[in-house]
Amino acid sequence: MAAKKLRRARLSQELCERLSRHQITTCQDFLCLSLLDLMKVTGQSYGNVQKLLCKVSLACAPKMQTAYEMKVRRAVNPSSAFLSTSLHGLDKVLHGGVPCGSLTEITSPPGCGKTQFCIMMSVLATLPISMGGLNGAVIYIDTESAFSAERLVEIAGNRFPAYFDSDEKLFSMTCSVYLYRELTCGSVLKRIKSLEEEIISKKVKLIIIDSVASVVRKEFDTKLQGNLTERSNFLARGASLLKYLAEEFSIPVILTNQITTRLSNGPAIQADLVSPADDLSLSEVLDSSLQSHPLVRLPKNRLESSRILLEICLAGASGGRKRESGCVTAALGNTWSHSVNTRLILQYHDLPTRQIRVAKSPVAPFSTFFYTIEKSGFVLQGDPILKVTGGIKQK
Amino acid sequence: MQRDVGSLPLAPALRARLVAAGFQTAQEVLETGPCGLSKEIGISKEEALEALQVVRQECHSDATRTAGAPGTSRKCTALELLEQEQAQGFIITFCSALDNVLGGGVQLTKITEICGAPGVGKTQLCMQLAVDVQIPECFGGLAGEAVFIDTEGSFMVDRVVDIAAACVQHCQLIAEAHQEEDHLKALETFSLESILSHIYYFRCRDYTELLAEVYLLPDFLSEHSKVRLVVIDGIAFPFRHDFEDLSLRTRLLNGLAQQLIIIANDHKAAVVLTNQMTTRIGQSQSTLVPALGESWGHAATVRLIFHWDNNQRLATLYKSPSQKESTIPYHITPHGFRDVQPPAVTQNPEGTEMNPRKRLRREEEK
Repeated sequence: MAAKKLRRARLSQELCERLSRHQITTCQDFLCLSLLDLMKVTGQSYGNVQKLLCKVSLACAPKMQTAYEMKVRRAVNPSSAFLSTSLHGLDKVLHGGVPCGSLTEITSPPGCGKTQFCIMMSVLATLPISMGGLNGAVIYIDTESAFSAERLVEIAGNRFPAYFDSDEKLFSMTCSVYLYRELTCGSVLKRIKSLEEEIISKKVKLIIIDSVASVVRKEFDTKLQGNLTERSNFLARGASLLKYLAEEFSIPVILTNQITTRLSNGPAIQADLVSPADDLSLSEVLDSSLQSHPLVRLPKNRLESSRILLEICLAGASGGRKRESGCVTAALGNTWSHSVNTRLILQYHDLPTRQIRVAKSPVAPFSTFFYTIEKSGFVLQGDPILKVTGGIKQK
Repeated sequence: MQRDVGSLPLAPALRARLVAAGFQTAQEVLETGPCGLSKEIGISKEEALEALQVVRQECHSDATRTAGAPGTSRKCTALELLEQEQAQGFIITFCSALDNVLGGGVQLTKITEICGAPGVGKTQLCMQLAVDVQIPECFGGLAGEAVFIDTEGSFMVDRVVDIAAACVQHCQLIAEAHQEEDHLKALETFSLESILSHIYYFRCRDYTELLAEVYLLPDFLSEHSKVRLVVIDGIAFPFRHDFEDLSLRTRLLNGLAQQLIIIANDHKAAVVLTNQMTTRIGQSQSTLVPALGESWGHAATVRLIFHWDNNQRLATLYKSPSQKESTIPYHITPHGFRDVQPPAVTQNPEGTEMNPRKRLRREEEK
């Protein structure tokens, strides 16, 4: 809308030519000038310039709708407002599931199940609407090469055995999950920009980016000068593009994030004042399961796990809670936290149980659920769906 | 009449020609007449006539101003202002502690800014205010309408439905307790449907759309004269990325602030803005400050900062011309924005919560 050419704003031809001589071709350039500048550039009187401003504003201002119209539109198509996660307790608290038209973030320490959650949601999105899905394709942007097609098929087969009873159905489901491997920030941004056409042509109903944090933190070292602003710019641009796609097509967007430690003694890059639900306070976990910490066994992200292992050792050595000297919270900073609308945090509890927490949501209060990862994906404890027996999958 | 030609709101080229031809005051221009003007400066008779009309209008309004006629002058005594302010209503927030701190609620004709970390409740308060401004007058509200300009996409209709339903229920309880006729009549029109239909929602995707919308807002408000609240949820979001030229950003923000003040005054509406927090990296520590820079801090008349303290949400009145700085706790419940505990004195709910005017006068009598 901003880049709309002035010609299409119904200004007269000669006026457009005159403005283009001053390098003012789009509505954005026009509206950024002050009234006096506009008078000088257009050569019109004050009153006329105000009329021109109104004309150009009409060309790019958004349309008005009342809240009632929005509600009616929602009521007409209730199933399309959410993507059910098939976790009964979580859906109830979130008023239906992952909301369509906004960004949802999943954050956790490594190995808690972010990728598992994403794979599970991909299966759910391809299901028909009668079963709680969105009957559409899925775009999966993978930056860590963690996606496993075998796991996708396994979850589908075990979670909905009645539906996926034939190989054909499984294959058609896998055909609707489009995987893109992007390894740099620039390519991720380029991919997001190209998504608009893909969404229309492939009838996509879910976008997953796993994970935003890994590619950003690889490229931007925030200790170097100037990198912090570059990083915020990249994130903000990505966030606004994704928001536009989510709203325009009314689809959910799921992003995954990592965690970071904020040390309050060192020159902290981000200050505190974070929501208490965001503060993961790993110290509880450290005390209870120091011996057999799962992070030690995980093969992926060796660097990450060794860093956290160091923290664990330090905490253990000094004996007890290290809450004063730092807190563990979602990465990517404050500005990113403003951009996502819903935030779910996964954490370790007593292995094999983990917990999923709703940390930020416009409709849900803070709540916690316990789950395990089974062959059929996530299973909430206390859910009416009974656990499928059969080993616990580590990854 | 003695106004200098250079200060007239004519097209610059025309002004330059007048000055070059030797005209100095507006009176000379008026005396010459259209035909003489067109011959002297070399413009067509129609253009000359147009220019003369502009000059005449300017001089006429100048004259009325200097003659001291009331008209649309913005001059009045402090006593008149005092009477106006007292008669003016407030938009209550349903959290009586916050209303007390603000002196009755969100004030009309002023810009109130709400800053806070993500997830602390800024959008919740905005949605609550959009519902509260519509409360009928007999219940102590303003019976107005609301404009909601959303730049972040965090407006959830379902949540507004919850808040509105709770508000209607609250009013119904009061009506049952007091059984007055105008209460019941007002309740007929104060329903969920009417509340939602009077929230005008605009979704602005970038700062150009926001600027365009604010330019068009005066016309919109003239058509919908019952609007008493303009909410811009997320004034920081469109201005925080992709702006290499920070001076342009400051200029645009200042222009926006000025337009909003004019809108607030002319249409007797309250303007509520939400801002984000950003980190300021100091020598040894970093602090969280409201975003958009120091100069933006001057734009808002009243500034509220929402923050956390362990598990409690707190609201601090950071800047206000008439109230003192204080911090109060608040809650976000399924019904909306509320106090931490219900106020102890509930024998006269109308007196304490719903009718801020009564409360104000009682404070005066002290």
